[in-house]
Amino acid sequence: MKDLLRLRTSLTEEIETLLNEQIKVEAYSSSLYLAMSSWCDRNGYDNSAGYLEKQSGEEREHMLKLFRYVNDLGGSAVSPEVINIPQEFDSFKGVFEMALQQEIQVTSNFNRIADRCQKANDYVTFQFLQWFLKEQVEEEYVARRILELFEVIGEEGTGRWEIDKHIPKVSFGISGE
Amino acid sequence: MQAKINTHLIEIFKTEFGSIYQCDQTNHFILEYAGRFTAFKPTNFIDFTKRVFAINLHDMASNTARHADIAILMPLYTETCFLLTMSDTIRLQRILGGAKTILHLNTLLKTSQLQFA
Repeated sequence: MKDLLRLRTSLTEEIETLLNEQIKVEAYSSSLYLAMSSWCDRNGYDNSAGYLEKQSGEEREHMLKLFRYVNDLGGSAVSPEVINIPQEFDSFKGVFEMALQQEIQVTSNFNRIADRCQKANDYVTFQFLQWFLKEQVEEEYVARRILELFEVIGEEGTGRWEIDKHIPKVSFGISGE
Repeated sequence: MQAKINTHLIEIFKTEFGSIYQCDQTNHFILEYAGRFTAFKPTNFIDFTKRVFAINLHDMASNTARHADIAILMPLYTETCFLLTMSDTIRLQRILGGAKTILHLNTLLKTSQLQFA
């Protein structure tokens, strides 16, 4: 008797479902960053608007990387439905607090998927996830550094203007080199 | 596609209400339920199984609206429309769930054979 399920895909149903859920999370992140970009633009934070638009594009790339992987392995990647994207935010700082929370959530999800891959002996997907886990170190670092600018520079006077100017310059690895 | 189903069927799982077969010639799964045979490609079989398990039995039991008594499923690329009552759904879930377990067992056995060959 042939193993028709294995002939279809090397992904187990559980891992395929988890990856499709993550595709949706990445799509949500992309839309959320775009909404944040729009809010920043409306409120005069031009540099942050540009930075967040770029981040939105990166999240979409992450989504596509997962999407292609699922299809490449014979699974069925699902184009996600993304709803309930907040369009208004409490404050300039609130935007970046939410961005950090979103990144923490994404890291937690990838850890959970990696854990499931190990338990399911799916080391091919486990290996594939290493890129994302490494990427999350950078994403969380940058989000935290941006929030620290609010403490270091301060929001009083021209503080927010100064913070906005510095946000696109925050990058991972520069200070450590 | 329906006409092709008749020979070389391997029984995967059977209850008193229906069965699942595998056809190694066409690489299809065949569901026999309520006197009808429906063939599925593996991808569509998985999709159909998910949809049957996604039927909200609690809502069917508690919702007094008439439409809540029936779940309608039209599996992709088949000529069958399933009108499922609550008891149909439970029976179908048992058949599909049993088949899924046997198929996973088959995968495990095949993997073990490869490892120790």
